[in-house]
Amino acid sequence: MMRRVLGRLAASVGVVFGAVTLIFLILNWLPGDPAALIAGDAASPETVEQIRAQLNLDRPLWDQYRDCLIGITRGDLGRSYVTREPVATRLLAQFPATLSLTLSAGLIALVLGVTLGVLSARFHGRWPDQLIQLSALSVVSVPPFWLGLLAILCFSVYLGWLPVLGDGGFRADILPSTCLGLVVSVHFMRMVRSNVLDQLHEPYVTALRAKGLGQARVFYVHVLRNALIAAVTLLGVVIGELLSGAVVIETLFARQGLGRVAVEAISQKDLPVVQGAILLASITYVVVNLLVDVSYVWIDPRLRTDSLRGAR
Amino acid sequence: MTDVTRPPSIEGTQRHRERCAAPWLALCAALVAVACGSRAEPVKSSAATEASSSPRAGGELIFAFDGAAVSQFALDPHKSAFAPHHRVMRSVFDSLIVAQPDHQFGPWLAKSWEIAPDGLSYTFHLRDDVLFHDGTPFDAAAVKWNLDRIKDPKNALIALADIGTYDSSSVIDPHTVRVQFSRPYAPFLANLSKSSLGMVSPTAARKYGDEFPLHPVGTGPFKFKSLQPATEIVLERNAAYHWAPSGAAHTGPAWLERIVFKNVPEEATRMAVLQSGQAGAVDLIPPQNLASLRTSRDYHVVEGELLNQNYSLYLNVEREPWRDPRIREAFKLTLDLDAAVRTIYLGTQARAWSPLSPSIFGYDKTLEHSWRPDPARAAQLLDELGWKKGADGVRVRDGKRLTIVFLDTQGNREKRLDLITVLRRQLRDNGFDLRIDTQPAGLYLAKSASGDFDLLAGSLFAPDPDVLRRTHSGKVRTVTSVSRADDPELNQLLEDGCNQLDDEKRKQIYSRAQHLIVERGYGIPAYVLMYSVAAARGVEGIAIEQHGFPVFYDAWIHA
Repeated sequence: MMRRVLGRLAASVGVVFGAVTLIFLILNWLPGDPAALIAGDAASPETVEQIRAQLNLDRPLWDQYRDCLIGITRGDLGRSYVTREPVATRLLAQFPATLSLTLSAGLIALVLGVTLGVLSARFHGRWPDQLIQLSALSVVSVPPFWLGLLAILCFSVYLGWLPVLGDGGFRADILPSTCLGLVVSVHFMRMVRSNVLDQLHEPYVTALRAKGLGQARVFYVHVLRNALIAAVTLLGVVIGELLSGAVVIETLFARQGLGRVAVEAISQKDLPVVQGAILLASITYVVVNLLVDVSYVWIDPRLRTDSLRGAR
Repeated sequence: MTDVTRPPSIEGTQRHRERCAAPWLALCAALVAVACGSRAEPVKSSAATEASSSPRAGGELIFAFDGAAVSQFALDPHKSAFAPHHRVMRSVFDSLIVAQPDHQFGPWLAKSWEIAPDGLSYTFHLRDDVLFHDGTPFDAAAVKWNLDRIKDPKNALIALADIGTYDSSSVIDPHTVRVQFSRPYAPFLANLSKSSLGMVSPTAARKYGDEFPLHPVGTGPFKFKSLQPATEIVLERNAAYHWAPSGAAHTGPAWLERIVFKNVPEEATRMAVLQSGQAGAVDLIPPQNLASLRTSRDYHVVEGELLNQNYSLYLNVEREPWRDPRIREAFKLTLDLDAAVRTIYLGTQARAWSPLSPSIFGYDKTLEHSWRPDPARAAQLLDELGWKKGADGVRVRDGKRLTIVFLDTQGNREKRLDLITVLRRQLRDNGFDLRIDTQPAGLYLAKSASGDFDLLAGSLFAPDPDVLRRTHSGKVRTVTSVSRADDPELNQLLEDGCNQLDDEKRKQIYSRAQHLIVERGYGIPAYVLMYSVAAARGVEGIAIEQHGFPVFYDAWIHA
């Protein structure tokens, strides 16, 4: 077990390192001069040169890359080219907002998706199943942006139940995380539904039934448990979708967030900020996936014995 | 087993259809109701207490503004050219003088001023009772420090373009400063009244260094309190304030206790927060909402022209196919800007005729209605030039298609891409194939600076016709000189206009320059931006100053 986790950790460091290197190269390869961008429309070539020197952009690429890596290992992400603010401070200020949006959306997606998936499978082919399938199709077919606008109009302007603008309170999180979670919940719903339906044809189900176990017990205790493993795997995958979907939702609901900062920094070629945001996002991704891996063992006893055998 | 695998019955499908339609119908009904204006009563709306009651001190205003998708607030007036941030900074930083109607200037931090007969030096007599928010006295040394700060190339400040030929300042006595220019610089007073030459506290700028934009300190009616990156900026009343500019409705401190600027870039969300009472006022009202808000009893709207070089199309005359003035003429005659602007802005923004917005000094009215679209004449010109329509309707000459690449970065801010899309249709009918090339800001800047485009468009906020020099002069190319024109006659005019201190002569110079730009097809002006603010009833006194920026000094909220 321990070895398994350690192995995953080592691989995770590789993933993070790869992401940082890739984004460094891509941003340098893209045309556009950050110094010229900062200098603005009225700057003379001398001014631009001056800024380039200030930012160490006049040094060889390799030196810049080395400094960047050394900085990261020391926990120093550098300063933003544009605001000269320490990147770590800036990103950490945004991180809680992104984390709370992503986590609550993920939770909504998981709970809603699994519940609907189970219902859909339970009533396979009958009207609840069809209703769920059709709603799911409608939700994934509309852009999240439009869905968010409808929700704002309906629940904030017309009904006046929920605020749009964040004031630090929990109520302001409800609309954005539901909009984001709703779209992602469709993946869970479909995954759980098809898995449950598959499981029902497994020989063990027939065996359980032959032993005289009740329909509900077979379904909720045995079948569901097996079907949930895939849902947990999916959690590791959709975390990426949640992080990227957050960009749109953050803009629509005028929220803080890592996504907006990253998108803006990319367009300004604010390299340290982009690096920092990618680093944080990849760490989040890796940590979630690590947790997913570990939780398999908890959900599925078969893996526990496998790993014990492996450790021997 | 039978339960879960039963095939769908026809009956079941029908029943499901009926039931699933219900929530959608409810939602649609809700939307229709919203569109008709029957919505939950806004918290702050109080139509009963009309403007008859007198201003009241206190209260907090939540102002939702369009800060675009920009997450960094950089509140150093000398460093930023971003209009949305200047809308916040106008309340934090005061200027030496204030712009008044008809291109006049009134006292603000400077009580009076004299201009030397040679136009090379300005002497400002300053108020002696002004303090920065951090307690630093505002004096002649502070003015000198501000101007020298902008001039220093090491600081790389954007406001450098606003001080032109500034040479140095000398402190005559603690409250008198003389500002010296190397050559006469006519736009100086107009620029000085702009928020980008607002007075910054030297002590605070030294203390915070690079992070000053996150800790702005000025002398304005509101002090900076705090900010949340990307989402909000909080300002608090400056209780010591008693140096309001001439023309303000009251003296002493501002009425409002606090202003919370919320950055809400999405226009539909901005309208939603106004209508649900979550914001007392919002800016940049979308055209489709403006008409109904103007006539609504629950809201009132203030509008003001943003002094700027109008959003214009710039043809890259350094490149084919634009080298020949006749094809530029054909391009221009193909465009029906009246129809396009009316379609997109629903009459809320006026069609522009000159590169300058109408209230800028030297605006030439004779350009209005000076040309009309004439697609037939344009087609004839194109035929004469050898551009013949091909099989798909796009013109071709020597095997080359008439493809025009439009370079863009800002997306649909102010519905600009919608406008381009309408124009694209018109152009297509006459055989131009317009391609929209959308790039992130970095790449856009690289491409525009190196001239790698056929067509681009943009605006630039400025109070003086000298802005034309920044765009059209072939002599002072900067990284974003969007026009690639290098016309000796125009270059000379723009140079002369900058140095000419006689108003009449200056007007003539710029009149000629505006005609040249439009007639020779260097820039095709599109629309005049009216900046708009809508406030709920009960929020009074928000004004828009001469340059087109919101002023909250006289604003107040009903009890």
